[in-house]
Amino acid sequence: MDFQTLMIIAVGAIFINNFVFARFLGICPYIGVSKQLDSAVGMGAAVIFVMTLASTVTWLIYHYLLAPLPSNIFVKMLSLSSPPDLTFLKTIAFILVIASLVQFVEMVIQKTSPALYKSLGIYLPLITTNCAILGAALLNIDENFMFIESIVHGFAAGAGFTLALVLMAGIREKLDLADIPPSLRGIPIAFIMAGLMAIAFLGFSGLKLG
Amino acid sequence: MKDILRLGSILMLTTAVAAVGLAAVYSVTKPRIEEQKRLAIENALTLALPMVEKDAIVPAGDQSDIQYYKAYESAEKDTLVGYAYITRGAGYSSTIETMVGVDSSGKIVGLKVLDQKETPGLGTKIEEVKYGESDPWFTRQFINKPAAKVQLEKDGGSIDSITGATISSRAMTNSIAEGYHELQEAVKNQQN
Amino acid sequence: MSLFKVFSKGLYDQNPVFKQALGLCPTLAVTGSIENGLGMGIASTFVLLCSNLLVSLVRKGVPNKIRIPIYIVVIASFVTIVDLAMAGFVPDLHKSLGIFVPLIVVNCMILGRAESFAGKNNVGLSLLDGLGMGVGFTLALVVIGAIREFLGNGSLLGIPVIGAGYEPVLIMILPPGAFLTIGFVLGFFNWLENKRNA
Repeated sequence: MDFQTLMIIAVGAIFINNFVFARFLGICPYIGVSKQLDSAVGMGAAVIFVMTLASTVTWLIYHYLLAPLPSNIFVKMLSLSSPPDLTFLKTIAFILVIASLVQFVEMVIQKTSPALYKSLGIYLPLITTNCAILGAALLNIDENFMFIESIVHGFAAGAGFTLALVLMAGIREKLDLADIPPSLRGIPIAFIMAGLMAIAFLGFSGLKLG
Repeated sequence: MKDILRLGSILMLTTAVAAVGLAAVYSVTKPRIEEQKRLAIENALTLALPMVEKDAIVPAGDQSDIQYYKAYESAEKDTLVGYAYITRGAGYSSTIETMVGVDSSGKIVGLKVLDQKETPGLGTKIEEVKYGESDPWFTRQFINKPAAKVQLEKDGGSIDSITGATISSRAMTNSIAEGYHELQEAVKNQQN
Repeated sequence: MSLFKVFSKGLYDQNPVFKQALGLCPTLAVTGSIENGLGMGIASTFVLLCSNLLVSLVRKGVPNKIRIPIYIVVIASFVTIVDLAMAGFVPDLHKSLGIFVPLIVVNCMILGRAESFAGKNNVGLSLLDGLGMGVGFTLALVVIGAIREFLGNGSLLGIPVIGAGYEPVLIMILPPGAFLTIGFVLGFFNWLENKRNA
């Protein structure tokens, strides 16, 4: 694992397999919070932060608690002969960890930085049900990423989400002034715009890296 | 404080019940899931080596880089009639994994794509079965050709590439030829 | 509300996708074909039915403060069961739906129904509500899957329905097609609504 591998993962997660445009993760907040640029930036920052943290924690949990690997701490603790296979608890463990993590981050930010809390606070509760966070955690396991790779992937996927969100917010602020057929106003036109942007992002797929 | 303890223990209990329930479900489904994985490989092997009975195919089980199987004339495992090997090639948006069967002269007798996540409608045509047919038209072209020399027509060979999906076609074709060389290498090493 | 209304509201009036814009990620991600949409719809309906059943059964015993985490545990458990069962019985479908099977857990439609209906109503009504919403969700996935498969592949359920001369609009089964389809479908329902109100 060298710098190049990490760069490939990062560029891949931001452009080629963009969470919104190619993987369809985090669509609800993408449509919901992209009306204004300010809130889009706030939401994006919150997602990057929680996603990086969640990727770190869920990777550790999977490899040290759930997976049937020699690194599983239950082997030493209970002196088992073979590591236990608890992978079936993956979904439930990950979602609970993410939910508690979001709560915890909310509390810490509230205590330490009221200013930051004011700008990020309202987005944090929304993040628990943001499938992009759980999606990133699950993808890290599916793709067999190493520890550092997972962290980079989590961060980059969050950055890709933010990029999509901010681009969209910029367009939607302009759209407010446009003459749109009444039936398409609001969510429908947002999806159509997203479709056009996805066509642009399609150009990145097949990019040969490394 | 008492409230926190009470709520905490209720939550704990719920999770524990869920975990135990899931463990029970897992113990029932695990053999089934493994059976499915085994069946997928077995199915690919029968497609790759249609002339051999499935009892006559055994995993080579050596330490070489390539995963391959030996095919015998009958279940007695006397005369070797061919090999099946799993090969991988970097396609357009994913790794294309193929099981290839060859006879002892190196001619392809069958093949099956095991895994790919290529562009829907383009690259995925490497395993497209046309309506009313029983096998994918792209992979059918490989049958009876020497595995060592398969190449796209564009590259001087005889395999027609898929319109709009040259990268996927080339990745699969070249991985078959490369895989065959690795297979020969592995077989040679084992004989020494 | 009549019993029939409890069931039927999910089909159209409060359709999770078309009217409430819930559960959009799977709606976009797995509707490249009718088959995948249908599989996803049935899996989600199963989870929704089970979670509505259990939540309505235990609703009186669940302390208000921790009801959401408990609902999440309940939903995650059923999702895991579906995930394992699909891996064991329909491995091909399981593979093509990929991570969207475990992601049913964050489908806001399911938590939404637990919170807004099953937590307040009895078992019978909750099951009916879950069935209606589930069928409505499945219907939405099948409709979008059908549009995309028809235009993007010239087929329905894998059977070609347009003559061989048809050049498929490939973009429809690629990611952008998902966004465009759902945008126009939502627009169509707005248009219907506007016409009815006018």
